[in-house]
Amino acid sequence: MPPEASAAGLPATRRRMPSWLATAALLLPSYAWLTLAVLLPLAAMFAFSFLHATPLGNKPVVWTLEQYRAFYDQPYLLGVAWASLSIGLWTTGICAVVGFAAALALVRATAGRARETLLILVLLPFWTNGLVRVFSWTMVIREGGFLDVFVRWFWPSAPSLGFLYTTPAIVLGLVHGYLPYMVLTCYIALLSVDEAVIEAAQSLGARWWTVLFKILVPLAAPGLVTGAILIFVPVIGAFMEPRILGGRVGVTMGTVIEDQFTQAFNWPLGSALAFTMLAVVLAVFATFSGVLRRSATT
Amino acid sequence: MIKIARLFLALVLVFLYLPIIVMAAMGFNASPLYALPFDFTTHWYQELAGNGRLIEAGWNSIWLAVLTAVIATALGTLAALALWRRTFRGRSILRILLLPPIAIPWLITGTAMLVFFFWTGIGRGLHAMLIGHVALAIPYVVLVVGTGLQTLRADLEEAAMSLGSTPIHAFFRVTLPLLLPSIVGAALFAFAVSLDQFVISYFLSVPGMTTLPVEIYSAIRKGFTPEINAISTILLVASMIIILGFARFARPGGIGERS
Amino acid sequence: MSGVDVTAVAKNYGATKVLTDITQNFESGTFTSLLGPSGSGKTTLLRIIAGFVAPDEGAVRIAGADVTGVPVHARNIGMVFQSYALFPHMSVAANVGFGLGRRGIRGKAAKAQVDEALEMVRLPGFGGRYPRQLSGGQQQRVALARAIVIRPDVLLLDEPLSALDRRLRQEMQVELLRIQRESGLTTIFVTHDQEEALTLSDKVAILDRGRIVQMGRPAEVYERPRTRFAAEFLGDANFLTGKVRGSAVEIAGATIMTEDRLPAEGATVTLAVRPEKIAIRPAETARSGAVENSLPATVSSVIYTGTALTYMLRSGDLHLKVFAQNSDGSPLAAGSAVVLSWSARHSVMVEG
Repeated sequence: MPPEASAAGLPATRRRMPSWLATAALLLPSYAWLTLAVLLPLAAMFAFSFLHATPLGNKPVVWTLEQYRAFYDQPYLLGVAWASLSIGLWTTGICAVVGFAAALALVRATAGRARETLLILVLLPFWTNGLVRVFSWTMVIREGGFLDVFVRWFWPSAPSLGFLYTTPAIVLGLVHGYLPYMVLTCYIALLSVDEAVIEAAQSLGARWWTVLFKILVPLAAPGLVTGAILIFVPVIGAFMEPRILGGRVGVTMGTVIEDQFTQAFNWPLGSALAFTMLAVVLAVFATFSGVLRRSATT
Repeated sequence: MIKIARLFLALVLVFLYLPIIVMAAMGFNASPLYALPFDFTTHWYQELAGNGRLIEAGWNSIWLAVLTAVIATALGTLAALALWRRTFRGRSILRILLLPPIAIPWLITGTAMLVFFFWTGIGRGLHAMLIGHVALAIPYVVLVVGTGLQTLRADLEEAAMSLGSTPIHAFFRVTLPLLLPSIVGAALFAFAVSLDQFVISYFLSVPGMTTLPVEIYSAIRKGFTPEINAISTILLVASMIIILGFARFARPGGIGERS
Repeated sequence: MSGVDVTAVAKNYGATKVLTDITQNFESGTFTSLLGPSGSGKTTLLRIIAGFVAPDEGAVRIAGADVTGVPVHARNIGMVFQSYALFPHMSVAANVGFGLGRRGIRGKAAKAQVDEALEMVRLPGFGGRYPRQLSGGQQQRVALARAIVIRPDVLLLDEPLSALDRRLRQEMQVELLRIQRESGLTTIFVTHDQEEALTLSDKVAILDRGRIVQMGRPAEVYERPRTRFAAEFLGDANFLTGKVRGSAVEIAGATIMTEDRLPAEGATVTLAVRPEKIAIRPAETARSGAVENSLPATVSSVIYTGTALTYMLRSGDLHLKVFAQNSDGSPLAAGSAVVLSWSARHSVMVEG
């Protein structure tokens, strides 16, 4: 008796595709696309970083390590790297303080629908055009901009407070851009803190600052670290914010790399600088991968 | 304490929204030099309607976003089904491979694409941007749909099969209808990712084949009028509406939790 | 004719042996419980019968046909899942009618059968509702209706009552038994709840580390456990280990009688005695010679639960447990000297 006969009226058994083939068929389109558009380009750029010059026309291809000596050959790059690093640290630090406080306020001082709405309101700007938001700040902090108008409302003869084209302006724009990340990661971390733990601490005589620094901050540490990485990594690669808000002082690793590709046309140097930056990014990820993994599972 | 906390939240919201509101308001101010007092006009929006360059860039952006959403959602959903519903060797490595487009600074990804596309003859232009945008959107789609699959219990498919459904019938009658909110959410998300994407587009654009963010950037750099405020406002409102649509379909915390 | 035959089934996950050489007949129309702790392989066996898991070795026959290579959807089984697995986007009627649709039964004929099934699980008129509008017990009934409406060759139940609270669970046990009797379906029920297994089943199969260690009628398995594991997992037991001396067993100086056939003189054997089979009397009032086995002991503690008493006792090196009815309202105090007595047929020889 054929097996189909055991189940009257049920569709007949057809030969099934082997399982691995079905899996491969599901995965292939996406991963082929990612390979073509991301992985191969990164590999190609890595190769480019060892070239002497951009291979145009009939110029011979010369392999060299000289591009990676850029920080030695052009000491001004060290200053640029330092500027990028300090912008990254300032941005991450301010985001950590403000974002953690905002997340804490969301978790402890709001509830239900109001909390949900507020969370969406905080996260919403993050998914809008970053360029447009940076542009918005120029309206506020330029000389005679909204900030000045606002201050002169109360004090008509106030000097201009406009600080467009300064490093603080860059940090301000970046904080605005990446703050929602920190709020979200800290919010998720704080949400999982058991109310009873806080009450237990209070019952043992802890004041609010003890609760904050001994209980809440340590328990939300994975959220803080995740947020810090998610902010620091893109910020050290930022080039559009320094260009728009920093003007002439806005020289960062991001803008230097961009220049190599769009102005100087020195692709090998740009590639080498980009890969140096990527190495820093990967080092950051590797250092904190344990924390990232833990927070990803909660 | 609670009052201070709420006041602080209000201040954070002011910080987040004030510049955007000022920027949008300036699009309705008559002075081309952004001088105050405020003098309401829709002049800049009318100007915009006659600005062929920006309009064309706008249509490019929309088409690019639509195609990106369609392709990335189709591909990403298939991959999510494999990554979340099947067990096979190398699954965790494939999941990790989703991260580079999200985690590596776009500056690096964008310049790498520029180098590679130039070198292989793919070149620059809208087709190159499409390749880049889809690659950026796929990981988000996989994560959003994967989150949806995770909350969708696997025993529903088993129940359908125990009642006589073939795996394919079970997928179309049970899994797909229940997964649809996640898929629609993922598509909206991919659309927004593409619409707002600037860095990749910037490196892959050629004159005459640009997107709105690239046009806005070059205008900001080369001198601009409140027309830019007008188009920026439109772009901002559009992406906010799309993201709110996404939030309706997929929970807002979902992406952050899983990535 | 119908019924399920499992022949020499084995399943390994990597180096872990989940099931080893399972051969068992599940008779047509009977209700069989697969009882075992988690990790004993009971769920895997059920999923092999359902077709969700392919056995590494062996064969499964349902209603006489070999279905080992047949996919789930062509097996004509009915299954109730632990979490019910109702389709949340379909009404109750659509859920129950799902399997009928797959069998080409639609429209009026389907509606009549759906109504009949809902009637059977006592949810008439619930067809238009959605799963989220139902209580846990109601969802359970719908899941059952969905599984039986297709008249499966076998009904597979995967711990379907474990998500319900105690009262509802007892109510559903009665319902489940009634429905199984009315429908006459061959039923295989996976559970880790011994009481549930005893209440519901015609047959109980006890699984331990991938093997069926004993299968039989509930009373048979309970009264005559074959292994130490079976005795311990199904109910409570005192284990007395000693050496065979003549026709009895010498344990800690006492001579314990059993009706079971004993091995050769000097062999080490273990006897299981159920705590409720042992009578407990104060030492001074105990009559000797009335029953086969008696053992002096001291009460170490008493657990008072109202209707019943649990005594923890010591007799030399032995620790014993005895269940007694709280018939005179004055339990024996800790430290009391007592005599325990039980009949020889309640000393059951077990393996291991």
